[in-house]
Amino acid sequence: MKQYLYIEMDNCIGCRSCLAACTQCGGHDERNRNYVYDVNPLVDRQTIPLMCLHCVNPACARSCPAQAIQITAEGAVLSALVEKCIGCQNCTIACPYGIPKFDEAQNLMYKCDLCYDRTKDGIPPMCASVCPTNTLQWVTEEELSMKKEQHRLGKWMSSREPFDPLEGETNVKISLPGILQGKQKLF
Amino acid sequence: MLKDKFYKTVANKRHPNESLVPTHCSYCGMQCGMNLRVDTSTNKIIGVEPRYDWPVTLGKMCPKGVTAYQQTNHDDRLLRPLIRDNPLLKGTKDGFREASWEEAYDLIVRKFQELQGQYGKDSLSVFSGVSMTNEKCYLTGKFARVALQTRYIDYNGRFCMSSAAAGFLRTFGVDRGSTLPWTDLHQTDCLFIAGSNTAECHPTSMFRVWEVQNRGGYLIVADPRETPLARRADIHLDLRPGTDLALANCMVNLLIQNGYADEEFVRAHTNGFDELAEVVKVFTPEYTSEITGVAVEKLVRAAEIYGKAPEAVVLFARGIEQQHKGTDNVSGYTNMCLVTGKIGRPKSGVATFTGQGNGQGGREHGQKSDLLPGYRKITNPKHVEEVCKVWGIKPEEMPQPGVSAYEMFELMMNKTIRGLYLLCSNPAVSAPNQHAVRAALKELDFMVCSDLYLSESCEFADVVLPTTSWSEDEGTVTNLEGRIIKINKAQEPLGESKPDWQIHVELAERLGRGQYFSHLTTACKVADEFRLASKGGYADYYGATWDKIDKQDGVFWPCKSEEDPGTPYMFLDKKFYHADGKAMLCALPYRPPAEEPCAEYPLRLTTGRVVYHYLSGNQTRRIPFLRDMCPEPYVEVHPATAQKYGIEHEEVVRLHTRRGEAFYKVKIIEAIREDTVFVPYHFGHDLSINLLTIAALDPISRMPEFKVCAAQIDKVAEKPSGRPQ
Repeated sequence: MKQYLYIEMDNCIGCRSCLAACTQCGGHDERNRNYVYDVNPLVDRQTIPLMCLHCVNPACARSCPAQAIQITAEGAVLSALVEKCIGCQNCTIACPYGIPKFDEAQNLMYKCDLCYDRTKDGIPPMCASVCPTNTLQWVTEEELSMKKEQHRLGKWMSSREPFDPLEGETNVKISLPGILQGKQKLF
Repeated sequence: MLKDKFYKTVANKRHPNESLVPTHCSYCGMQCGMNLRVDTSTNKIIGVEPRYDWPVTLGKMCPKGVTAYQQTNHDDRLLRPLIRDNPLLKGTKDGFREASWEEAYDLIVRKFQELQGQYGKDSLSVFSGVSMTNEKCYLTGKFARVALQTRYIDYNGRFCMSSAAAGFLRTFGVDRGSTLPWTDLHQTDCLFIAGSNTAECHPTSMFRVWEVQNRGGYLIVADPRETPLARRADIHLDLRPGTDLALANCMVNLLIQNGYADEEFVRAHTNGFDELAEVVKVFTPEYTSEITGVAVEKLVRAAEIYGKAPEAVVLFARGIEQQHKGTDNVSGYTNMCLVTGKIGRPKSGVATFTGQGNGQGGREHGQKSDLLPGYRKITNPKHVEEVCKVWGIKPEEMPQPGVSAYEMFELMMNKTIRGLYLLCSNPAVSAPNQHAVRAALKELDFMVCSDLYLSESCEFADVVLPTTSWSEDEGTVTNLEGRIIKINKAQEPLGESKPDWQIHVELAERLGRGQYFSHLTTACKVADEFRLASKGGYADYYGATWDKIDKQDGVFWPCKSEEDPGTPYMFLDKKFYHADGKAMLCALPYRPPAEEPCAEYPLRLTTGRVVYHYLSGNQTRRIPFLRDMCPEPYVEVHPATAQKYGIEHEEVVRLHTRRGEAFYKVKIIEAIREDTVFVPYHFGHDLSINLLTIAALDPISRMPEFKVCAAQIDKVAEKPSGRPQ
């Protein structure tokens, strides 16, 4: 059964539990591969997570001259293979979201692999497992279609140019801030 | 098992050559379920896995929970007892030498007996905490009263939960932190949350809070700061710190005036309505707005929403409780539930967010100066007799009631108390008015501190005993719902560390009181005696066997017999615990904070937590991830205030009150009132905000007013050289 990482941005409280949990995934060498940003720290406490969106046609993998970035059948875009990565850092430049990280000492790129050693067995990734607010959720196809009925799901666009944004299909689905807009109140 | 809409059946991730030990977090009252990963070749804890099948938190954890396991095998762990021979070094980390348990015990026994021989039994004191199991909390009370035979025992719940306890006792005649299970929260129609930064202090409640809004329900938040919780609230009542009682009275007044009172419920199940209505009458929205600074429309709308909501839950935390009228604030907000009858049924009720892991259980079983196991009163001869029967002592041997935590420091200062046994607490960071507290600790003739790390309080001790972390012992704790749950042992104690219950037994034997303690050879045996000691009390745990806890995913007290499944919902029969079965509507005139702003100190200082740290930070400041995320305290200032003082973001300023000063970096944010500044309290030494806080105590709960005092900011020309980095 295919499941998706689904993000409800508005729920984020900035606890960064997802970062702490990322370090705890078996294959992650205790290094986190995700980000949480303060949106406007001098004004309010809104924060948003920035996770790898696992693009259907990922710029990181396309830019890799060594075919070091593998994509699984489920659509998870993996970390660079140790034996193939040449440390050119093309991927870190190509990714419109700045996801891949680079280990200078190892001369190796590493990134979110959607906790593949968990998700391949149907176990949620660490970030979505621990997220105390349900900002990060691991949902079935059916749950996702229900979400789509409730909210207009955004596409994460990068501002290459304001009128020609880079936009692509991603395996991770996002509900942008404002999920309560238009919500019918109970009374 | 209560399974709700969030529950999913998920298999555990199994790592090769590892076993999983199901348990709960070491930190706050949420007591999130977790599995500890144990390496099967070394038998050491090496990581954490979510506990998806724990019905309250479903595998969710905050960053403290995710990294909690890193405490156990931390390099800073104390592995052997420490003795300091030179008392002149008190107040520093210096002069300790490692010693054997025998040498440490001999010294403690000799010193304790000397002091008691010379100055009487009550010259010794015990200061305890509630981040430990019920079994340990229970035995600490027995240790003080039976082994040391002193009246002076109290605990750090006085800085945490005591106002909630006192308020609920006065209103309901019983103190269970929540009248309903947490799995009901997301199903209610309105959450009224006062003085709780839930998102940072109890993060795993948040998915239920947001779900209320997702369903179209309302979230009302009363807080001087726009916390991550308040950011999304339908109504944010941004009140001045220390003005909660006016706000609560205004809500009750509006509920009565606008016809939301449930007259039948009030008549049948409460006392005191007329007096209440009379007292709250003056709290019109306009008058309340003057006191609290909250806009009139917001007050009116908040009361309307709460009044109209078919089901609603009132929640609060330290924000309203850590005031010198904390008890009144608790009863004041609880009046909202009683006046409208929104209590004693599913999806409606009242709860406090318990701060410490076992803040609920730890206050029920005899660590408090006036309480005995099962929430019995030490001043009630019948209660004393019941407990004496279990303990095997004569009622006349039971010590008198003592004094509250902060008052113990005053008695140390005047030499009434000369010896201290401190465990599971770090008052050299967490108590208010630190200059006085640290002076009192220095004044002691002899001090023992039991901790897993060398805390700031250990620095005042003559003997430091290495105790176990939560993961090296077993027992029960009671979470914020009132649900008794089981903590399991995942590895053997590190080094020579011992669980506190064992230390108590071994010390009691050496003090010649072995006949009352020697049979307690395992945590399970302590549990059996403790359940018996609670039997028949208000907080009756007798039927909460470890086996039942395991089978039922916890047992809610009261649980009176082996057949009794426990009590998830309180007051379903609308019977409260006062003699006439009615709840007390308390008529509470407003009192301002003990220290109001003035020309010299024009700002209101409030304190609280950040999501990355727990209590005094003794544990969390040692965890790399948490330290990296929040390495030092700061003072939060509104930009308009910053402009007035001519200070910039990240500039170091001098913050001071009548009691002390400290230097902090400025964090500018619009999400705080202009008249208020905020500093997190998790830091020690010169960075402790409690150098500045006021020790104005609540007359009933003896809770200090951590949440508000008058302060001033000064620009500093240069960074002071003495400031630790």
